[in-house]
Amino acid sequence: MSRTGCVWCPDWPVIAARRRADDADLRNRPLIVRERVGSRDIVRAASAEARAAGVTRGMRRREAEARCPEAVCVDADEANEARTFEVVARAVEVFTPRVVLERPGRCEFPTRGPSRYFGGDDALAAQIRSGVATALGPDGADVRIGIADGVFVARLAARRSVVVPAGGSAEYVAPWPVSVLDGEDDLVSLLVRLGLPTLGDIAALAPDAVLARFGSVGRRIHALSRGIDPGPSVFVAPPPDLVESTELDPPAERVDIAAFAAKELADRLLERLAERGLACTRVLVEAETEHGERLTRCWRHARSEYGDALTPGVLAERVRWQLDAWITTGETTAGITGLTLIPDEVVPVDGRQLGFWGGDQVAHQRADRALARVQGMLGYDAVTTAVVQGGRTPAEQVRWVPWGEPREPELPLSIGPEVAAWPGALPPPFPARVFDPPLPAELVDANGDAVAVNGRGEQLRPPAYVRCRALPANGGAVRAWAGPWAHDVRWWDARTHRRCARWQVVVDDVACIVVVEGGRAGVEAIYD
Amino acid sequence: MLAGARLLAVAGPIGQFLPAGGIQRGSTVALDGPPGAGSTTVALLLAAATTSVGEWAAVVDPDGTLGARAAAEIGVALERCAIVRRVPPDRWPTVVGALLDGVSLVAAAVPPGLRPGDARRLTARARERATVLVTLGPWPVEATLRLHARGLKDWSGLATGEGLLAVRELDVRVEGKKVPAHAQAG
Repeated sequence: MSRTGCVWCPDWPVIAARRRADDADLRNRPLIVRERVGSRDIVRAASAEARAAGVTRGMRRREAEARCPEAVCVDADEANEARTFEVVARAVEVFTPRVVLERPGRCEFPTRGPSRYFGGDDALAAQIRSGVATALGPDGADVRIGIADGVFVARLAARRSVVVPAGGSAEYVAPWPVSVLDGEDDLVSLLVRLGLPTLGDIAALAPDAVLARFGSVGRRIHALSRGIDPGPSVFVAPPPDLVESTELDPPAERVDIAAFAAKELADRLLERLAERGLACTRVLVEAETEHGERLTRCWRHARSEYGDALTPGVLAERVRWQLDAWITTGETTAGITGLTLIPDEVVPVDGRQLGFWGGDQVAHQRADRALARVQGMLGYDAVTTAVVQGGRTPAEQVRWVPWGEPREPELPLSIGPEVAAWPGALPPPFPARVFDPPLPAELVDANGDAVAVNGRGEQLRPPAYVRCRALPANGGAVRAWAGPWAHDVRWWDARTHRRCARWQVVVDDVACIVVVEGGRAGVEAIYD
Repeated sequence: MLAGARLLAVAGPIGQFLPAGGIQRGSTVALDGPPGAGSTTVALLLAAATTSVGEWAAVVDPDGTLGARAAAEIGVALERCAIVRRVPPDRWPTVVGALLDGVSLVAAAVPPGLRPGDARRLTARARERATVLVTLGPWPVEATLRLHARGLKDWSGLATGEGLLAVRELDVRVEGKKVPAHAQAG
């Protein structure tokens, strides 16, 4: 999992409201930012003074005003929050070009490169903190930066402004309450009632038990509580021809004109992705101005680790915020002439697409349920899917991934277009039965002596008989053979070093692969 | 369900020798043959027919010896094919039963000593859920179709001391109602 840094400005709506109004009155008095959710009028954020008086997030406005009567109450303005957050994004961009915005108040970035350059995670965090604090001026007193493995843990680390060492995620997340599982309110309250108040309690359970009880959501929360970011379950390389761009003529000087074009663009992009059964979780917004300035910013869905993807409305809103931020903060010196949306991270749509008879989704859910049940019966690892990966032997070429985990190869299939990866790997057709470890066998020559290879990888006498209990009639005479292919793999690593020789043989009517390693023969695979 | 959708069409040479070019959903196909005779390949061909139309398949492989590379080569969409390993013989009927509820085709290696009663119950469950049950190994009760893999006639490409395995010919005998008797597929 990649090291990720997270910058978090607590109470961003409050800071944004103060920066917009910028009058002394708002700065000196407690402030409550309210929003309407459905028919309810609730607190979106409150300043430190108001919180000290007992105002909390999600509280009804009337109650909040009763608790803190001297507070000023302002309406939430998401566009303004996003616009003012541009200052922070730009301050972080000084250190790393790959800033990913998620919602105003929080952004993330991969730290591998910058950490090495700036002298370690701690040094990087300190430098970014001072950079952002300087950019924000008086509002920059409380900027928090966390660095950890994966986005989920980084976000938790940012709450306490700590650097979690690599591999220390599980230990770090264990004491956190389950309420940090964003947006899973029903589940959280159930977990608490079940006597599982912290993430550590969930992590201590057997994964198949959690899976059997909660289904695929259980799988995700179990992974998160172990400090593993499950991410969208399957990544797909974004198809290069899906970039959507448009030219604006005359150049758009005003936000609303550019935003109108952006809306159309967002619709078109997601529609074309949907045609291929894909959805987008991260998108690059690019704008070009009359003066040739090129601006880029990356936005990500805030809940993509739970498998949610951008919808046209959400995407259009983010693009609008971004354009607004660029235009109003004066980063563009002329009208916008071109606008491009590049899907940066796409995932297969699962279940959202209905088949003609409601087929796809229903079938998928049915399969998922049945397989989760079998996982509950036999154990998590017993139900697998296979991922083809690079390797020399038939056993090496496949990775078994428990059902529901990300299907990614561990060893690459190829290294660049020119280099042939895995020299010595057997070409197709591939054997349908693979024995790992190989089944004990005897490979002997016409005199009845075991076939061996010398130091140069040459056999002394050709194989004549193979005996193995997996073959019909326990083996027989060799009718045809090829080899030996001598392998001396990973000689630089004492633990995984292997020296062996392989033959492809046809015994009576059965084709198989025989391997000799350390003087012992074994049947590695049968073409069945 | 539409009448046509009751049939799981099997592409390729093997489909020509199946009644109506495919397998009726809900039927049980008993597959057997000695090791190396090609029964695994036939099972994978049927699984490939299922996943290629976007449906899910499951393979019960208690010994964990299935070659996934071969499955992918034959055309199985691996992301829609669950492979269940390490199944103790006494739980085999329960596991296969649970899978029959969820996917369109279950290919399962029969454990030794399977009781005919359990086998009959699974056949009935497959019929009820309109799922194809493909069994590998001695199946103790009646089946809609019986396929006997009878060994690979000829391995071409391999000689003494040189060459590589290339093409093989599969020899499968099909038994059941309304079937032409004998199939040879390349």
